[in-house]
Parts: sequence; structure tokens; C-alpha cells
Amino acid sequence: MVQLQRFAALLLVGAMGFALTACDTDDEGSDEQVDEEVDTTQEDDEDDEPRHGGTLRVALSSDPGLLNPAATTSGAVHFATHLMFNGLVDLDENLEPVPELAEEWDVEEDGALYRFHLRDDVVWHDGEPFTSEDVRFSFEEVLLDLHSRTAASVGGALDRIETPDDHTVEFHFDEPYAPLLQQLDVGEAAIVPQHVFEGADSIEEHPGSTEEPVGTGPFRFVSYEPDSEIILERNPDYFEEDLPYLDEVLMRIIPEDASQVAALEAGEIDYLARVPNADRDRLADDPNIEILETFRGAGAVNCPMTMTFNLDRPTLQDVDVRRAIAYAIDREAVVDQVLFGHGLVPEAPLHSGMTWAHPGDLDLPGYDPDQAAQLLEDAGWVLEDGEDVRVAQGVDGVDDGTALEISFLAFPTFSEYGELLRSQLAEVGIDVTVEALEPPAFIERVFTERDFDTNIISFCQGPDPEVGVRRQIASDQIGDTPFSNAAGYENERVDELLDEGLSTVGTDERAEIYREMQEILVDELPYYWITEPIFSVAHTDRCEGFVPFNQYAEAAFCDEE
Amino acid sequence: MSGDLRYVLRRLAQLLPAVAGILLITFLIVELSPGDPVTSLAGQSGDAEYYARMRERFGLDQPLHVRLRTYVANVLRGDLGTSYIHGRPALEVVLGRLPATLLLAGTSLVISSFVGVALGVAAAIRSGGLVDTAITTVSLGFYAAPVFWVGLMAMIVFSLRLDLFPVTGMSSLGASEGGLAGVLDIAHHLALPALVLASQEIAAIARLTRSGMIEQLRSDHVRTAVAKGARRLRVVTHHGLRLALLPVITIVGARVGHLLAGAIVVEFVFSWPGIGRLMVTAVGDGNTPVLLSIVLLVAVSVILANLITDLAYGWLDPRIRLRAR
Repeated sequence: MVQLQRFAALLLVGAMGFALTACDTDDEGSDEQVDEEVDTTQEDDEDDEPRHGGTLRVALSSDPGLLNPAATTSGAVHFATHLMFNGLVDLDENLEPVPELAEEWDVEEDGALYRFHLRDDVVWHDGEPFTSEDVRFSFEEVLLDLHSRTAASVGGALDRIETPDDHTVEFHFDEPYAPLLQQLDVGEAAIVPQHVFEGADSIEEHPGSTEEPVGTGPFRFVSYEPDSEIILERNPDYFEEDLPYLDEVLMRIIPEDASQVAALEAGEIDYLARVPNADRDRLADDPNIEILETFRGAGAVNCPMTMTFNLDRPTLQDVDVRRAIAYAIDREAVVDQVLFGHGLVPEAPLHSGMTWAHPGDLDLPGYDPDQAAQLLEDAGWVLEDGEDVRVAQGVDGVDDGTALEISFLAFPTFSEYGELLRSQLAEVGIDVTVEALEPPAFIERVFTERDFDTNIISFCQGPDPEVGVRRQIASDQIGDTPFSNAAGYENERVDELLDEGLSTVGTDERAEIYREMQEILVDELPYYWITEPIFSVAHTDRCEGFVPFNQYAEAAFCDEE
Repeated sequence: MSGDLRYVLRRLAQLLPAVAGILLITFLIVELSPGDPVTSLAGQSGDAEYYARMRERFGLDQPLHVRLRTYVANVLRGDLGTSYIHGRPALEVVLGRLPATLLLAGTSLVISSFVGVALGVAAAIRSGGLVDTAITTVSLGFYAAPVFWVGLMAMIVFSLRLDLFPVTGMSSLGASEGGLAGVLDIAHHLALPALVLASQEIAAIARLTRSGMIEQLRSDHVRTAVAKGARRLRVVTHHGLRLALLPVITIVGARVGHLLAGAIVVEFVFSWPGIGRLMVTAVGDGNTPVLLSIVLLVAVSVILANLITDLAYGWLDPRIRLRAR
């Protein structure tokens, strides 16, 4: 029942979170958020008592290939496998750690030592007991080698892992390391069984990663037909008492968005983790379908659509030009037209899902085309009579008479952003060329060749700035690594603040540090944050009790058909 | 050795350089185009060290000519490499998906050949008449419409509105029925995607049969047969159709490649677990070993289909002698 209480608490916190967010947004946004609050609380209705039994059918949008969430950051693998595995902790609605495989933990030496006390009642799906050695093995042999996020962050800071006894594990860092607890959920650090993989030449090619995964999670593996279906069954020995409720989880791999929606409407599946925005309202009107909203997906947490300014380009080196572009963009209109209203207008560089680090009172430029025009005029970009596009007149590093033309690169899936921004920026005399490029070509142009003026990326910030923000703004992250510092931004103070934030334990203290960092980012605007898309999860009303992330079906239950 | 057999062997021998050339070109296209399989593994978050480590693991840190040499050496030993994404041999990954595609494409080929020929004959018998106009118009419509769109429309009408067919997959989710029930379940899932995939082929075959039949029905030997008092049905089937079918056979064989291309789209729309979907994913991931294995299989099938077509041609038309010149 602990789990149930936790779930009810989560829902309540979630509802409050949505209500709070609603206070800060415009009227249209608020209505929607309030609706959501009502929807969420309905889940808790008395007549929807959880019951055992039943089968849940879930849509997967791509074939996972591997079935080992510790060996990759692929969203497909993670969504397909989370129900079979656990992390040391889970992250609640506010991204705060709550016990999972670890019952409790101590943070010592100012955050250079984390000691976890593990549950002693956990067994692997094959009956072997779970111990601290599994945790050490998972990190040393799998996560720090193959899980790119964990390897890049924890890997650089960790000194060693010790296992004083079977149910205690210690992480020793060279320096205090603050974000660890946000990096231990099943998405960031799934724990895999040492006894299965021990001695394997290659973790990825071992059957434990491909066809016989063994986890500790609420459901255990039954079968996997590549590109077709995955079947899981209830783990009767799951450590959370009474859970899970479902007997079976069946997953069907449905790559095409429209077919996923059709399958949901036809009742072939019950749970769709990502509803296309265009279909969202129609599904919400369907009396048999319920919608949940979240900023989190498998491997993608807190992802604002972020516009990059290439600071190598003379035109964009002037902060007033970047500022003018920001003023010229009507982000409300972008949320309405591109996201069909299912998103928020960012108020700060850090995503609002990181509640503790997100200030609501920064001076991030809002929509003001007059201000934009004035800034451009003052910066030496003048609009001659009868012309549509501004030209340079005494701009540093730019020949007089050069037209204000900038390129805007986007994945084809995001090219609507480009079209809308193009028309908005044309209003103030900036000529934007939109180039839709498939991801490999996009990465080559932006990060290898650095041949672009601006672009848009769904830059996932993760549950902590250290996970996904450092790589965007730290000066040592400039280079050809994909999704690193695309702007080419360098600021010594920002580098210092990032390091301070990394080594300071304590939410309030860190929030102060990240506030100063965000003030600098708003001042210098190497990036501009266009939208915070809200992801919609849809499920049939036959099934209830979901949380829209990680262990989404741990406490779910379904009516028999 | 008979002439026919020698001809077949000669054609099979030609297969080798053709396939080798296709593989080489595909290898170069994939390797020279932007994209790095490590990006698929890293998502947004690999650091420089991670990239370096993974590239080394897959041998991607080697120069192109070294990778090509390694690949050729491996292929000659029958090793098509390991999928970067699946942790399994690429050929095993591909062969696992092949039956689904063969079933879908094969069914479509059979449906489109029979229905296409029947419609073509029906249209030709009274060319310019109501039946002809209807068949020609509708088949032209299907020929022009993108398969993707036809698939979605068929799904909306037959699955969502009329509730006749399932929307996704090759069998009911979680069903492990064997025997007749299992076969019927697969047939139920197969019907709609196979019809959609066949729709374009039906159009192509019907139009070709129609023009061939019209020409044959006006020819001297048909006129002679009619003058001799042969029955109408016999004239159509024995005197007209047999010759009219020659170009049709050619087109059916030649369209195997086209059919496989259409299968990619249909597999996507109907979540059919075949190689088409695997191929699209492999292109996106830069998963060269899987992509090359698929190209190898498709190239061999298309070449074999053409060979079979040529053999059938000779068998149907005694005027054509196959010779190994």
C-alpha cells in the first residue's frame, strides 16, 4: 500500500504543480492546465479501486533492438524495458528522488560520498538475490562504458564504488558531486544483474541484453518478436507489496504516428506514450480516451525547443542583434500554431520542469517588434525606403550594404518552427532561409562544419542542469561532438558557476548559483528558448493508474474486456 | 548440357559481379553520406570520449579504404558484420524480418497478377465501353495515388469505420495460437496491407493487359479464329490472352523491385514487421551492416525474379529460344 500512497501523493503533487504553472501563464494556457488538474484528480476516484488481473496493451514507436536500458540511452530501448528494471531511486513528479532499490541514503563529505542502503528483499527475475555487487557491476562494467549520459557526467567525476556489505553501496567522488541523486533512476542508471553478465566479452551482444533480459522490475520478460511485439508478465516476487496489479503487458511496435492513433481509437492498444499534437484534441474529445500531460519521456526530460545563435558569425556577435531577433519572435503564436497550444512559453533558460532551479522573474525578452526594429536600427542594420530587408551601415566586421540574411536549420519534424519564425522575422526586416535537414546532415552542418547562422534543437536539459545544460554552454564543450555547445558560447563566469553548481550540495544554494548563471545567459543570449512542449500521453478508459513516465504501469490496472 | 541449363548457369554467374557492384556502391553511399551510428547510440548526450570509444569499438576510426577492405574480407568469409544497434549478426537480424516481407509482397504479387489480368481482359473485350472506362479510370486513380495515402484511407474506412480488419501488426497482440486459428489470424491481418500494396500493381498490370489484349483481338489470327467459328471465350483465352500475357509477364517480373519498394511504405503504415521498416531504421541509424545485408537480399531477389521472368517468357512463347550466346 506504500506504493499506492506514493502514487496518490504523486498525483496530488502533480495536480498542484500544474495548478501553480497555470498561475504563471496566459489565460488560454491556464484553462487547459486547470482541465488537466481535473482530469488528474479524477484518476483517484473511489469507484476506480485498483484490482488485480488484466492485460495492458502498449504502443512502442520503434523497435528497441536491445533490451538493456543500462547499455544505451536510446529512448526506444528505455520505454520498452523500464517496467522490467529499477534504479536505485525513482524521480517523482518534481524530479525529486524517492526510494526504489535503495531504501535510504546518506550524503557525506559535503557531497563527495553517497552511501546507499539497499532493500534486502529484492530478487532478480531468475530468483537470484539482488546485492550491492550488482550495483557496482552495473556502473563499472555497463553504465560508465555504454550509457552515454551517465558516462559523460558521473563517469568524469567518480573515483570509486565500494560495497562494504551486501546491502550497502558507496559512491566516492574526487570532489563534491551534487547531481548524483537525479541520475540514479531507471532511465539514467538501470541496475542489471552481475551474475547474468559476468565474464561476457560484450555486454551488448550477450543474450541478457538481446533476448533474455533479467531485471528486478514489476514485470518480467516473456518474449520479443523484433519489430513486432514484446510480452511481459507480472513479477510475483516484486518488492513493492501488492504490485503490480496487471497480469500482462503486451507491447506492439507501431512506427507510424497516424497508425498509433488509429490503433488506440480501434482499441488495439490502451496506452500511447506520445500523442501527436495534431491529434491530441480529437483524442481528448473521445469519451473512451483519457489524456495525461508531462514534460518527461523515455530518455527525454525537460526539452525546451532552443534556438541557437552561431556566435562565430559576425552578424550574430552583436548581442543587440540576438536580442532584436528574440523581441521579434511571438512565442505565444508559436505555441498556438506549432504546438496547437500544448506547450508553455519559456521564462528562463532552465526548463520550468526543474522547479527548484527555474526562476520566474528573469528579464528574458518577450514579443516586442518595435523594440526589435529599434535595436536593429541602432546596431547599424537599416531599412531603406521601399525595401523589405535591412542592410548593414557601419556594422563591425560586416561590409556596408550587406543584407540581413540568416539561415535557420531544423530537423524536418521541426521545420514548422522555421516557417513561422521566418514570417515573424520578416516583419522586422530580417530575411530567414529555412533549411530542413535530416538529423545526420543537420549534425554535420551544425557541429562539424559549423556552417549555419541559427538553428532549432529540442535540447533536453534532463532532471538536473548538469545532465543536459552544461554541454550546451560550457566553453570546453565547443567542438564537433553532436549536441554540444552549438552556439560556440564562452563565458568564464558561466564556467565557474557550472562548476560551483556541480560541487554544491543543497537545493537552495544551487538555485542561487544557477540563478546567477541564468541572468548571464539572459543578458548575453547565446540561445533563445522558444517553447516548452508538453507531451501528451493517451490511454483508454479501460485502464487507470498510470504515471506518465519511468514505471508508468507499475500501479496500473485494467478492466477485463 | 542442354541450352536452357547453360543459359541459367550463365545468368547466375552474371549475378555475382552485379551483386558485388551493388554492394560496393551502397557501401560507399552509406559511408560517404553524413551520419554516424554512434549518434544513434549516444542520443543527445555522448561526450567526445564516448564517441571516440564507440567509434573505435566499431572500427569506424579507421580510414574508408581500410573499412572497405575489412568489409570485403568479412563478406568473402560469409560474415556480413554485426548490427551496431541490435548486438546481433546483421544477417540474422535481416533474415528474421524476411518472412514477413515475403508473405506480404508474395501475396500482393499473386493478387495483383490475377486481378490485374482479369480486369485488363474485361476492359479490353469491350474497349471504350462502360466497363472499360470504369476500370481504366479507377486503376489510373490507384496508380497515381501514393501508397501511403491509400493505406491510411483504407485503414480509416475498413478498420476504423467498418471494423473489418485490424490496424496493426501481423497477428493479434499476444496471441500464440497455432494451427488453423493462427493461420486465419495472420490472414486477417494480411488482407488489408496486401490489398493496399497490390492496388498500384493491379493498375499497372490491368492497363498493360488491356492494351495487349486489344491489339491481339484485332490481330489476324484472332480474326481467323472468329471466322472459323470458334467460341468467344475460347478466342479470348486461347488466342488473345496467351500472347497478350507476354508483356504482362515481363512487367510482373520487373515490378518485383517496385513491389519491395512499396512494401517499405505499407510496412510502415500497417506496422508490418518486415525488412522495409528495418531498412528505413538502418538508414537513419547509419547501421551499415544491416543496410548492406538488406541490399544484398533485395538485389539477389530482383535479379532472380528477372531470370524467372525470362525463363517463363521462353516457355510461354515458343518463338523465343533462350540461348547462351
